[in-house]
Amino acid sequence: MKNLFNQAALSLSKINKTHLQFALMMLTLVMLVLGAGAPEDLSGHGR
Amino acid sequence: MILLVSIAAGALVGWGYARWRGVAWHSPVFRATWLVALGFLPQFIAFYLPSTRRSLTDEGASLCLITSQVILLIFTGLNIRLPGMPLLALGLVCNLVVILANGGFMPLSTDTASRLVSPTIIDSLVLGERVSSASKDVLLTEANIRLPWLADRFVPPQSLPYRFAFSLGDVFIAAGAFWMLAYNRQTASFF
Repeated sequence: MKNLFNQAALSLSKINKTHLQFALMMLTLVMLVLGAGAPEDLSGHGR
Repeated sequence: MILLVSIAAGALVGWGYARWRGVAWHSPVFRATWLVALGFLPQFIAFYLPSTRRSLTDEGASLCLITSQVILLIFTGLNIRLPGMPLLALGLVCNLVVILANGGFMPLSTDTASRLVSPTIIDSLVLGERVSSASKDVLLTEANIRLPWLADRFVPPQSLPYRFAFSLGDVFIAAGAFWMLAYNRQTASFF
């Protein structure tokens, strides 16, 4: 358990500012294209 | 789905090309990112969040869609210098124009809908009304659609298992997003 915690902490320490900026950029782009686009697959029919 | 695939493909191509050339891949840096969150919020409430989308009237949902797209258009204007953004902005304008011309929702013709789903489902849809509370599309006959070439009228080839209708604006948006991520800022080149 302690080993698992150490591994998780080590993985988290590798997340730096660049990774966070990339994640934010991707989130922004996803929101932008989902908001701008309007494709329809009719899968939501009935909802 | 098509839009998210274009983002994934663009990121993969951009990153892969940079790796192949042995240079760092630099993702785009946006200005006024908060505008996207602000712009997406009305659509999240009107189309994505089940508890709110069911309680919202069509007029309310339409207002949310138009407000959202206007805010997103401002964002694209502020970031127009980024590669791919002019194309993405053009797609957004195309979609917004056809939505405004057809009463506040993206028109979907009965002909196009019949190429997506079975006749039984088509029969259960009401002409002149939204396809569902989660949809930005309104079902209309081809003759009643204004600016039909900007409507959701294209469908992928039959060989593709995932069936959906998309507009010319969606194509521009997908191409713009792909271009934005595939473009290599390090070598200032494509592929």
